[in-house]
Amino acid sequence: MGDFFNSLMHPIELLVAWIMYGFHQVFTTIGLDPASGAAWALSIIGLVIVMRAAMIPLFVKQINASRKMQLIQPELQKIQKKYKGKTDPESRQAMTQETMALYRSEGTNPFSSCLPILVQSPFFFGLFRVLNGLEKISTGENEPIGPITREVAGQAEGATLFGAQLSDTFLGADNTATYIVTIILIILMSATTFLTQRQLMTKNMPASALDNPFAKQQKLIMYIMPVVFAVSGVNFPIGVLLYWFTTNVWSMVQQFYVIRKMPAPGSAAEKALHARLAKRGKPIPGEAERKAAEEAEAAAAAERSSQRVQPKSKKRAKKQGGAGAAAKKQGGSGAAKKKGGSGAVAKKKPQTDS
Amino acid sequence: MKMSQFAAKPLVWLVRAYQLVLSPMRPPTCRYYPSCSAYAVTALSRYGLFRGTWLTIRRLGRCHPWSPGGVDHVPPLPGEPDDGELIARHIPHETTT
Repeated sequence: MGDFFNSLMHPIELLVAWIMYGFHQVFTTIGLDPASGAAWALSIIGLVIVMRAAMIPLFVKQINASRKMQLIQPELQKIQKKYKGKTDPESRQAMTQETMALYRSEGTNPFSSCLPILVQSPFFFGLFRVLNGLEKISTGENEPIGPITREVAGQAEGATLFGAQLSDTFLGADNTATYIVTIILIILMSATTFLTQRQLMTKNMPASALDNPFAKQQKLIMYIMPVVFAVSGVNFPIGVLLYWFTTNVWSMVQQFYVIRKMPAPGSAAEKALHARLAKRGKPIPGEAERKAAEEAEAAAAAERSSQRVQPKSKKRAKKQGGAGAAAKKQGGSGAAKKKGGSGAVAKKKPQTDS
Repeated sequence: MKMSQFAAKPLVWLVRAYQLVLSPMRPPTCRYYPSCSAYAVTALSRYGLFRGTWLTIRRLGRCHPWSPGGVDHVPPLPGEPDDGELIARHIPHETTT
C-alpha cells in the first residue's frame, strides 16, 4: 500500500519540484541570492500562482454560470416562496433538491464542482513531501527528486525566512523564530479564510438564505476554524503554511472580484452594484426588461388618460357617432397589444369617468 | 450489519470529519444534490467498503465543471424506495446536505 502510494505521488512531487526549481532559477537570474529564504519562499508563491492560474478557465466558467443565474431568478424565487419560513430538515432537503433539479433542467449551475479540490490536494501533499524530505535528500538518505539534487536540497533546507527554516515545523523546531513565523502564518491563514467566508455570508447571500439553520451552523464553524488551523498548522513545515496562506489570499481576491461584479441575486452586494451602476449612469443588468415592462404599462395608462381628456356629452357622441367609434376601436387594439397588467388599468379608467 | 459495512466505518468517519472540519472553510462547491461527501457517506453505509468506495469514486468522477450536476442519489437497495422520492414527499431521511 505504501509503495503504491509512493509511486502514485512521485510524478506529482516531480512536477512540484520542477515548478519550484524553475521559479527559483528565475528569481536567481533576477538577482536574488540563491540560498536566501526570499528566493525559495517566492518559489512557493510561484507554485501557487501557476496552479491557480491554470484554474482560471474554470473560474471564468463559473462567472458565466452566475450570469445565467439572473435569468432563472423567477423560478428560483418560486421555490424559495414555497418553502418560506420552513426550517425543518425535511423541507430544507426538499428545497435543495428542487433547486438542484432546476439548475439541471435550465442547464446552469452556480457551483464549481468537486474536481478542482481533488486536483489541488495532491499538489498540496506533494509540496508537503518535498519540503519534509529536503533534509534527508541533503544528507543523501533519500533519493533526489528531479532537479532537487543533494546540493539544491541542502541550499533550500538552509534557507530561512525571518530566521525560520522553510522546512521547519512548529513541533519539530526549537528556535523562537520558527515559533513566531508559524504563529503569524496561522493567524494570517485564519484571517484570510475568515474574511473570505464572512464576505460570502454578509454580502453575497440573499436575506432569505441567511436565517436557515445551515447558515447558523456555518457561522459557528467560522469561529472554530482558527482552532483547527492552529492544531494542524503546528504539524506543517513553514513552506506549506506559506503555500496555504497564498492560496487563501488568491481565493479571497477572486471571490472579492466575483461578488463585486456578479453578486448573488437579492444579496446586499447586488444592491451595492446597482447603486454603483446607477451613480455612473450605466444600465443595470435585468433592469432593462423590468423598466420596459413598466414603461409599456405607463404608456398604456397615458394612452387611456389622453383619451379621457376629451369627454363628450352623450349628445355630441351621438352626433359624431361614426368617427368616435373608429377612434375607440384604434385605442382598444393598441391596449390589447400590451401586457395583461395594462388591461386591468384600462378597465379601471372608464369607471372613474362615469 | 454486514462485514463490509463494518469495514467501511472508518472511511465514513473520515468523510464526516471532512464535512465538519474542512468543508466549512470552503465555499460550497458540489454541483450535485446530495453533495459528493454526503453521497459517499450514504454509499459506504448502504453498500459497504467495496461497492461504496466504487460508487463514491464514480460520483467524484462525475462532479467536474462540464457536468450538468443536479439531483443524483445513491441507488436504492432492491425493494427500497428511491431517496429522491422520499425527500420529495418530506419523509424523514438520513441523507445530509
